[in-house]
Amino acid sequence: MAIFSNINREARFLAKQRYILALLSIVFLLSVFAVWSGISETRFQLSTIEKLLEKDAIDRDRVIAKQKDYGSAAYYSFHLTYSAPSAIAFAAMGQRDIYPWKHRIRMLAIEGQIYETDADNPELSFLGRFDFAFLVSVLLPLFVILLLHDLRSAEREAGRYDLLITTATKQQGLWLTRAIVLCSALAIALLVPFVIGSLATQAPIISVGLITLVVIAHLLFWMLLALVFTASKLADKQSSAQIASVLLSIWLVVTVLIPVGSDLTIDAMVESPNGGDIVLTQREAVNDAWDLPFNTTWDEFLTTHPQWEGKTHIGESFEWKWYYAFQQVGDQTAQTLSKAYRTATLEKNRLAERFALMSPPMLTQRLMSAIAETDTNAAIKYEREIREYHKALRTFYYPLLFNEAEFTLETMSGLPKFSNKKYN
Amino acid sequence: MKVINKVTHDEWRFWHRTKLATTILVIGTLLTIVSAIGNTIEIKHAAHERSHLQLASETQFLTQPDRHPHRMVHYGHYVFRTPSPLSIIEPGVDAFTGTSIFLEGHRQNSAMFSDQRQASGMTRFSSLTPSFLLQVLVPLFIILIGYASVTREKEAGTLHIMITQGVNLWHLLLGKYFALVSSGLLMLLPLVIAAIWASFNGESFLLTSSFVIGYILYILVWSGMVLTVSALSNKNSASFATLVGLWIVFCILIPRIGSSSAAAIAPSPGKLEADYAVLEELRKLGDGHNAADPAFEQLKKNLFAKYKVDKVEDLPINFRGTVAQYSEEKLTKVLNKFAEKRMQEELFQAQIARQFGWFTPTTAIRSFSMMIAGTSLETHHRFLREAENLRFDFVQSLNKVHQDTLNYQADINRHKDDKAARVNAENWQVLSSFSFEPDTAETRLTRSVIYGFQLILWATFVYFSLRFAVRRIS
Repeated sequence: MAIFSNINREARFLAKQRYILALLSIVFLLSVFAVWSGISETRFQLSTIEKLLEKDAIDRDRVIAKQKDYGSAAYYSFHLTYSAPSAIAFAAMGQRDIYPWKHRIRMLAIEGQIYETDADNPELSFLGRFDFAFLVSVLLPLFVILLLHDLRSAEREAGRYDLLITTATKQQGLWLTRAIVLCSALAIALLVPFVIGSLATQAPIISVGLITLVVIAHLLFWMLLALVFTASKLADKQSSAQIASVLLSIWLVVTVLIPVGSDLTIDAMVESPNGGDIVLTQREAVNDAWDLPFNTTWDEFLTTHPQWEGKTHIGESFEWKWYYAFQQVGDQTAQTLSKAYRTATLEKNRLAERFALMSPPMLTQRLMSAIAETDTNAAIKYEREIREYHKALRTFYYPLLFNEAEFTLETMSGLPKFSNKKYN
Repeated sequence: MKVINKVTHDEWRFWHRTKLATTILVIGTLLTIVSAIGNTIEIKHAAHERSHLQLASETQFLTQPDRHPHRMVHYGHYVFRTPSPLSIIEPGVDAFTGTSIFLEGHRQNSAMFSDQRQASGMTRFSSLTPSFLLQVLVPLFIILIGYASVTREKEAGTLHIMITQGVNLWHLLLGKYFALVSSGLLMLLPLVIAAIWASFNGESFLLTSSFVIGYILYILVWSGMVLTVSALSNKNSASFATLVGLWIVFCILIPRIGSSSAAAIAPSPGKLEADYAVLEELRKLGDGHNAADPAFEQLKKNLFAKYKVDKVEDLPINFRGTVAQYSEEKLTKVLNKFAEKRMQEELFQAQIARQFGWFTPTTAIRSFSMMIAGTSLETHHRFLREAENLRFDFVQSLNKVHQDTLNYQADINRHKDDKAARVNAENWQVLSSFSFEPDTAETRLTRSVIYGFQLILWATFVYFSLRFAVRRIS
C-alpha cells in the first residue's frame, strides 16, 4: 500500500508543476496530429487504389473489346498492381513514400518496367513526414530527457533535496517512483491518440499490442538511462543543464551519428550493381533481337521454355510470339544483374537490421515499420508479387500465342487477376 | 565599443575554462568539415560518373547500325542529371529524385533509381550533409554553448553588480552576442570555404555570397534567440529547458508538420491516376504505328490534295513516317498537358510546406538554401522538361527521316525484306547532346527572394525580442 500512497503523492505533486503539464499536453497534441495525418494518408492511399482498380478494369475491358488477336491484346492492355497499406500503417509510413505501392505493368519485358516509380513529391520526402513512428523514435527520447534530467538536481537547486531524502522511507524508491509517474504520464499522452486511431482503422489487436510494447520498451530504455546517469557520481556535481547536455549528446550519437556511420559502412560493405545497367542491358538485348536471326532468340527462349519447341515457325509477316519471346530473352539477359541488385538491397537491409541494434531510435523505427508492413522488406515482397503476377500473365498468354488459338473474349475473361493479400 | 569587446573576450575565456563549450565547438566544427569534405568527394564522383554515362549513352546511340528509323525511336536514349556545384553543401531533393530518365517514342518515363531507394534506409531522419548539420544541429550547439550566458551572471549575482556599476546592458548583451555569433561562424567556416571553392568552379560570386549571407542570418537569428531566452530566464535550467523546447519545435517539428500538412491539404493523385486520363485521350488520337487507323483519314486526304494523287503509294513521301510524326506531336501535347498539371500539383504542395518558413527559421533557411543551390523541386522539374524536349526532338527527327528517306514500298514489306527497310546510320546524328546546366544566377536569386525575406523577418523579430528582454531586466 505504501507504493500506492507514494505514487499518489508524487502524482499530486507533479500535477501542480505547470511546466510538466504543458509538456505533456504538447506531446498529446503532437500524437493527435501524427495519428491524424497518418490516418488521412492511409485513407488517401486506399481510396486511390479503389479508384485505380475501377479505372483499370474499365480501361482494360474497353481495350480488349477492340482487339482481334492475343498478341495485340497483351500489348495494349495494362494491369494494375498495388500494395494496400495495412490497417496499422498510419502509425509508421516507413518507406512507402520512396518505394512504389502502385504499379501498372504489361506483358513486355518486366525489367524495363519494374523500376518506374510513381513516387511521392520528392521535396516532401526530403523534408520528411511527421508520423507516429517519428514521434516515438526521434522525439520521445528528447521528452524523457526534458522530464527527467533534473530529477535530483532540480530539488537540489530548489533546496528541497535534503528534506526529501530524510522524509522518504527509501531514497532510491523516491526517484524511481517519480520517474515512473512521469514516464507513465508521457506514455499515456503518446498512446491514447494511437489506440483511438487504431480503433478507428480497426487495426488487428496483435499489431496494436506489439507497437505499444515497442513504445514502452523505448521509453523504458531512456528512462533507465536518465535514471542511471542522474544517480551516477558523475552527475553529482553537475547542474541540471549540464546533465541534460550529456544526455542530449547521447541522443545525438544514437539518432544521428550511428545511423549515418552505419549507412556509410553498409554502402562500403555491399557491392550493388548500378540500377541503370540493368535497364540498359535489357534494352540492348530487346533492341538487338530485331536484327538477330530468329533462331538466336528461339535458342535462348527455349532454354527456359522447352515445351514450345516445334512451335516456333515464323511466317512471312511479323509474329507476336517471336516479339514476346525476345522480350522474355531480354529479361533473361538482365536477370543476373537484376538478381544481384535485389540481393544487394536485401543485404543492405539485413545489415541495417544488425546496425540498428546499436541505435535504439533506429531499432524502434524499424520495428514499428516492420509491424506496420511498411518497411523495405514489405516493399520487396510487393515487387516479388508484381513479378509473380507478370509471370502469370506470360503463362496465360504463351499457350494462346504458340498454339495460335482463335481470339475469343471468353478466353480473355480468364486473364489472371492481381490480388493483394492485405486488401479486403 | 571597449566594453563590448571586453565582454566578448571574457565570454571566450569562460568557454575556454569550462571546456564544455570548447568541446562542443570543436565537435561541431569537425563534423561540418568532415561532412563538407565527404560530400564534396561524393558529389564530384557522382558528377564525373553521370557525365561519363551521358557520353557513353550518346556514343552508343550514334554507333547503332543501319536500321529502320522507327526502331531507333524505340531504342531510345538515356539522359543523366549532373549535380550543381553548390550541391556539395545542399543536396536538396537530389537524393529523393531519380537522376536518370529513359527517353523513347510515345512515352514519358519518370526518373529512375533515386539514391534513397538504393540506400540502407538509415538516413531518413538525418544525413551527414553540411546543410543538415548547419540547419538542424548547429542551432543545438549554439544553445548548448550559450544558454547560460546571461542566467549564469544572474545566478552568481554578477549581473546586478555590473548594472549598478553602470555597465550599459546593451553593451553587455552585444558583447555576449558577438561571442556567441563568433562560435556559430566558426562552424560555418567549412561552408564558406566550400562556397569559395564553388565560385572557382563556375558558380557566380553573387550567388555564393548570398548563400553564405543566408546562413549567417540564420546563425544571427539563433544566437539572438538563445541570448533573449537566457536574458529573460532567471535560472540556467529554465533557460536550457525553454531553448531545447524551442529547438525541438523549430528544427524538427514544424518542418515535418509542414510537409505532412501539405500532403493532407493538397493530396496529389500521382502519375498513375493521371495515366488513365492520358490513355483515354491518346486512344482518340489513333495508334501512330498503324497508318490505316481511321484517325488519320483527314491527314491522308489533305496530303492527297496537296500532292494531287489518290493513292498512298503515289505520295512522294512515306505516309507511315508522316503518320508517326503527326501522332507523336498530338500525343506529346496530351502528355505534356498532364505532366505540367502534375508538376504544378507537386509545386503547390512544396509551396505549402515552404510557407512554414513564417513559423520557423529552419524551413526558411532550408528553402533559401535549396533555391540558391539549385537543388529544389523547380530544378528537378526543369530537368524533366529539358529531357522531354530532347525526347521530342530526336523522336520527331527520326520520324522525319522515316518520312523523307525510307521508301514506302520497302517500309510496308519490312517483314519480308528486312534489309531493304533500313536507313543509313548517319541519320542517327539527329540526336543532340544533352548537358543539364544549373539555373542561371538570376533565376535562383529571384526564386530565393521570398525565403530571404522570411529570414530577415526572423532576424527583425529576434532583434525586437532582445530589446524587450533588455527593457525587462533594467
